[in-house]
Amino acid sequence: MMTVSIDSNETIAAEPPQGPAPEGMDPVTKFLLDDALAQGRISKQRYAALVRDYEEQAYERQPPYKIWYERGLNLSTNDNAFLLRIRGRLDVQFVARSRNDAWRNPGDGKNFPDIVGVFGDYRVVRSESDATTVNLRRARLYFMGHVFSPDMKYYIQLRMDSASESSQTQGSVQLYDYFLLNTMLPIANAQLGQYKVYFNRAQINSTASMQFTERALVSDAFTASGLDRRDIGLTIMNDEDRFPLNYYAGVFGGAGPNFTRLGNFESEQITQGCPGGQQPPTTPLPPGSASCTDPTLNPNNTNPLQRNLNADTRIDVNKLMYTARLNWNVMGRPGYGEGDISYSTKPQFAIGGGYAYNPRINTSTNNAFIGVDLADLNIRRLIAAGGNGRQLGWGVVDYSTWAVDTVFKYRGFSLQGEYYFKNVNRRDKGPPCVQFVQPVAGAEFICATQAPQELGNSFGWYVQSGYYIIPRYVELAGRYAYWDPDTNAASDLIKEVDLSLNWFVNGTYDHAIQLTFSNIAMGTGGYAIGRSNPMPLVNQGTDIFPNGPIPVDARGGTLVENVIRLQYQLFF
Amino acid sequence: MTSISRIGPSCLAVLFSLHAIVLISCARLPETTRVIHEDERVVVVMETDPDFSPYAQSTPTDIPPDQLNRLLHGFSVRHISSIPVRFLGDERPPRKFLREREIEALVPVLQEALQKVGPRERIRFEVLSPGRNPRYWRDVTGGWIKVRNRYFHLQVDYFHVEQPIRKTDAYDPYYPSPPTPERNYAVYFEPQNLFVVDPQLNEPAVDLTRFLESTAP
Repeated sequence: MMTVSIDSNETIAAEPPQGPAPEGMDPVTKFLLDDALAQGRISKQRYAALVRDYEEQAYERQPPYKIWYERGLNLSTNDNAFLLRIRGRLDVQFVARSRNDAWRNPGDGKNFPDIVGVFGDYRVVRSESDATTVNLRRARLYFMGHVFSPDMKYYIQLRMDSASESSQTQGSVQLYDYFLLNTMLPIANAQLGQYKVYFNRAQINSTASMQFTERALVSDAFTASGLDRRDIGLTIMNDEDRFPLNYYAGVFGGAGPNFTRLGNFESEQITQGCPGGQQPPTTPLPPGSASCTDPTLNPNNTNPLQRNLNADTRIDVNKLMYTARLNWNVMGRPGYGEGDISYSTKPQFAIGGGYAYNPRINTSTNNAFIGVDLADLNIRRLIAAGGNGRQLGWGVVDYSTWAVDTVFKYRGFSLQGEYYFKNVNRRDKGPPCVQFVQPVAGAEFICATQAPQELGNSFGWYVQSGYYIIPRYVELAGRYAYWDPDTNAASDLIKEVDLSLNWFVNGTYDHAIQLTFSNIAMGTGGYAIGRSNPMPLVNQGTDIFPNGPIPVDARGGTLVENVIRLQYQLFF
Repeated sequence: MTSISRIGPSCLAVLFSLHAIVLISCARLPETTRVIHEDERVVVVMETDPDFSPYAQSTPTDIPPDQLNRLLHGFSVRHISSIPVRFLGDERPPRKFLREREIEALVPVLQEALQKVGPRERIRFEVLSPGRNPRYWRDVTGGWIKVRNRYFHLQVDYFHVEQPIRKTDAYDPYYPSPPTPERNYAVYFEPQNLFVVDPQLNEPAVDLTRFLESTAP
C-alpha cells in the first residue's frame, strides 16, 4: 500500500485553501478571507466555518420561489407546497409505405373501416401502392405538479396530433389526460380523472418510451374498454417503487375519454320499443313488428317516421367498467418503459396480468342494418379505430378482456411479451338475421337468412426484444405480433414484424431518433356483418336495403404493408 | 403480392441474426463490485475498472484525512457542453468541486475506500443533497477516483446534477425516469503545476508525491 502523509497540521492552517471561491461568493470576500487566514487573524477551522456558513446561507438568500429546468420547466415555492412542471413533446414522423394490390381491391373494410356520415356507414379503406407523409404524430403539452403537498399531484395532457389516416378533418386540441393522484398512503394511492387504464403493459407505458415508433396493432385492439386506452374513473393502487407486488383496481365509465355512456344511445321510433331509423317513408323497416309500422301509408308496412323525428333512447346506461391488474416485480424493478435504457447491472424481471369487464357496448344494430340506426357514432368509431371493426353490427356486447405480460431486462438487453384474450359476449344469442321477407303485404317480416356464423372471441400476442449496442444510447429492437380478431373466422389473421434502430441522444427517452421498419400482413377473410355475404336485404326482388348486394370481400387476399417510419422525438 | 408477403419472415430472420451478433459483442459499462458506504449523504462503492491493464492497475493508498481534505479542496470543474458554445463566448470559469460539508462527509469514507481498492477496481463516489424538488429529486455530485502509483485521477461525472429518486416519474406514472447519464466536465487542480499527465494512462492526474512535498513544513 502506498502511504502518503504530511507532518504538520499547522502548515495547513497557515495557508489559505486552494481552489476557487465558494458558489456565490464574490472574489473580494474570498480574498479578504484568504488574507485573514494567511495573516493568522483567523484559524483554519474558523475559515472553514465561515465558508460553510456562506454556502449554507445561500438557500436563505434565494427568492421565495424557485424556477429551474429539469425534464421540463419547473416552478415551485420554496416550501415545496406547490409545483408546476410544464413539458412539451413533439414527435415528427416521416412515413414511407408501400402496399400490395390487395389494398387497392378489396382494401380493408373489416378491421379498420372508415365510419362516415351521420349514420355511421362503413367505408372500405383503400389506397394505391405508395404513400409518403410527414406528420406531427404526437404533439403534446403537459402541465403537472402538486398542490398543498407533494402527495397531491395533478397531471394534464393536451393532444394536438395530426389527424389520423381515416380522419377527413384537421387535428384539433383535445384534453387527453386530466387526473389527480394522491400518494399519501403508499399502500393505497388514488388516481381520479381521465387517464390511461392500468390494464396491459404496452398501454400503460407512454408512447414516449417505446422501442418502436408505434405500438403493435394488437396492443391497441386489446385495451381495457375495447374502445380506447383512456377512460374516466378511479384507480386504487400501491406505490410501484416501494412494493414488489403491485395491484391496480379501477372503476371507470367505460365509454372512452371525454365521453359518457349517456352519449351512447339507440334510435327508437316515437312509439316506444319500435326500432328507429332514418329512411324514406315508403321503405319497410325490418325487423319491425306490425305494431311498429303505419299500415295507412301504403300496402307495405312502412316506417311512419320522417327524418329527425326519431328518439335517441338511452338504455342500460347504469353500467360501469371494472378493471384489475397485478404486477409482481420478481427481480428488481423493470418498470413499464421499454428497453433497458438504464443498463441494469442486476437482472430485472416482472410478470403481470390484468382483467377488464366492460358491459353493454352498443356495436350498432344486431340485424345487420348498420347505417340505418342512429346509435352513437363515437362508440362505433372507437371500435373501428382500434381495429375491432369486425365486432361492429352485432348489437350489444359485453367485453371481458384478459392480459398477461412479462418483461426481463439486464445489461442493455430486454425481452418483453404479452398475451391478450377478449371474450365478446353478445346479449342477443344465436346468429342474427340479415335478410328479411314479408310473406304478404302488411304482414310482419320474417327472417329468410341468418348470418352464416356468429362473432367469435379474439386473441393476440406480441414479443419484442432489444439490445443497446451502445449502452444507454443506441438500441436495436425487434418485435413480432400476432392477432386473431375473430376466432370464428378463417383467413383473418394479422401478423406484424417490426425492426427498429433507436438513438437516444441524451441517454434518456426525452431526445430520440428512431427508425422503424414494419411489415404487416392482414387477412381479409372471415364473415363481417354488413360487409360479407349474405348482405343485408329486405324483400329480395323488390327492395334491396340498405346496402348493395356486393360484399367488400368479394375479392379476397392478404393486405400487405411495408412501412418505414423515421421519427424525431423531443420531450422537453 | 406473394413476394411482398414473404418479407415478414425474412425480417424476422435478419432481426434475430442481428440480435445474436450484438449480444455476442456485449458492450459493457462498469459495474459495482463492493459497497463501501451508502447513506443519504454519501455513496462510495468499488466498480470494475474498464481501463484495467497490468500496467494501469489501481494502487491501494493511505492518505490521512487532513491531506485528503486538502487534496479535494484543490479541484474545480467546468461543464463541457456538447454544443460548441465557446464560439458564442460562453466560457464560464471553473467552479469549486466540493462544498465544505461535502468534503467533511466524503473524506472518512473515501480514505477507507482508497485503502481497500483492488487492482481491477476504481472508486465511484457520490455526494448527495436534496434536489430542488426534494421529495423526488436529489442533487448529485460525483465521479470516480483511481490512484495509480503516485497519480491521483479524478473524473467528474456529475456536478450538482439533479437525479430522480424514483424509477417512474413522480407526476407522470406512465413515463419512466431513468437516471441522467454522466456528463462531461473539465477538471482543474490548484496548484496547477501538480496536475500532470499520467504517462501510463495519458490522463491528467495529481502527482501525490509532489503535492505532499509542496505542503510539507
